[in-house]
Amino acid sequence: MSTDLIDLGSESRNAGSFVSFLDQICARFELDHAAYAGTNPVASAVHGYVNYPDAWKRHYAENGLHRIDPTLLVASRSIAPVDWSRLDQTAGFEKTFRDARDFGITNRGLTIPVRGPYGDIGMLSVTRDCSATEWEKLSRQILPDLQSVAVHVHDTVMRSDVLSRALRYPALSTREREILQWIAAGKSQQDVGDILGISHRTVEVHLRSGREKLYALTTPQAVGRAIMLGLIYPL
Amino acid sequence: MIIIVDALNKDRFGDLLDEMFKLRARVFGDRLGWEVEIIDGREIDQFDRLDPAYVIGLDDEGHVVSCVRALQTTGPHMLSDVFQVLLDGEPPLRSATLWESTRFCVDTQRLCRDGNTMKAVSMATCELMIGSLEYARRSGISDIITVIDPVVNRVLKRSDNAPYDYVGSTKQMGKVPAMAALLDCTEERINRVRAFAGITHDVFASEDAVRDLLTARHLAESGRVTAPSDWSAMILSDAQEPLPTVLVEDIQDYCRAQIEAARTEEERADALRLVGVLVREGIHPALHQVVFQN
Repeated sequence: MSTDLIDLGSESRNAGSFVSFLDQICARFELDHAAYAGTNPVASAVHGYVNYPDAWKRHYAENGLHRIDPTLLVASRSIAPVDWSRLDQTAGFEKTFRDARDFGITNRGLTIPVRGPYGDIGMLSVTRDCSATEWEKLSRQILPDLQSVAVHVHDTVMRSDVLSRALRYPALSTREREILQWIAAGKSQQDVGDILGISHRTVEVHLRSGREKLYALTTPQAVGRAIMLGLIYPL
Repeated sequence: MIIIVDALNKDRFGDLLDEMFKLRARVFGDRLGWEVEIIDGREIDQFDRLDPAYVIGLDDEGHVVSCVRALQTTGPHMLSDVFQVLLDGEPPLRSATLWESTRFCVDTQRLCRDGNTMKAVSMATCELMIGSLEYARRSGISDIITVIDPVVNRVLKRSDNAPYDYVGSTKQMGKVPAMAALLDCTEERINRVRAFAGITHDVFASEDAVRDLLTARHLAESGRVTAPSDWSAMILSDAQEPLPTVLVEDIQDYCRAQIEAARTEEERADALRLVGVLVREGIHPALHQVVFQN
């Protein structure tokens, strides 16, 4: 889990960069495949990116599996990550994954549903061919980070048209701004907590929220972007 | 015992949700006097239509004794849409690993009625807190922001589950004040509540176990309550009433439920045919087509 993810927010965004981001996710979290699908009602667009083998993508499209695949249709209605073992009783699951083995695709996976502020929904699905115990251990370990990554991909994809970008101008609270301002001044999170008289955990939860609102994966990226947008002062 | 009911299993637990909405009506409407809308003895708001997850506590007989509702803060939720005044006009926190919990309540009436003391209430409350924290934690969630009143705030503090901070300020919402409190979903916190309540067992019950319990309870009750004998007469007398408004979401939900509940290919084909007809009639919105790009 040492590889760093390239922050999508700063890249010129095209389909290629999204797919290569999925590759990075797989490399970093020890996964086989990843897929993102999302709908943006503002731009009335549907987006999908996968790093599955071409043969499986063809099979999936030709058989219209997206119309029955419960990892898309059912999982999006949960608020929590949905392990595919929870879906294997549904009618579509057996059909979707019946031939998957032949394409080297496992039915061991999970889907992280994302909800955005404008009725937009997205799903990041990941798979790994391994034993049940191994999967249990891995998914437990990577879920917190994967949650953040899923929202990062979703937000970036949803901002790929001009109208949505204007709508999604980062709305930072005073608290989030002042914490970023002190971080920009070189203070550690502990220092910031002491200066503002708030707990370390409060600093952390606001910093994480501020970072995600700025579509950044790391704090330095968030600071840079906040300065660029004139939300905090360069020091 | 605790069960999570969300959009994926709500078709199996419709009776449980209905009982929960009634409990919320009694607690938030009758007892606390919140300005909530109660229709037909049930308190249901716009956020219940967004497929939230409910953490529901049951007693040994299968009665709902506690509940709380969870939503992601990345999408629409109460603090972003209706409780913004609590945040002093500031934008809400939005994070992939932060959930919002609302409508936390416990049925003190039921828990105290057989001469039970407040001990039963405290146990049910702690079990619900443990269930919520553990569900969030295993979903990769690190923190919960919860909209509560000062009474629940005191309950949290007394149960060794004190919020680590608050966001915004306490504001009068109707007759009672409300506030937004932060709780971490760390093992330390969960262990503290467990130790306080002396709860060491797994608080979650399996879906099958809960379903069996509910079926047993309904069977026992059907002996006592006489069902109306002539349904057709009731429906006919209702026909004079104006038709209720049916929301598009209800129709979509119904169709989805029909498709998901289909046990055979024929049933499934029938359900899909119904969707087709409704789409053609403009009653059901067109289905999304997911197109994969490369």
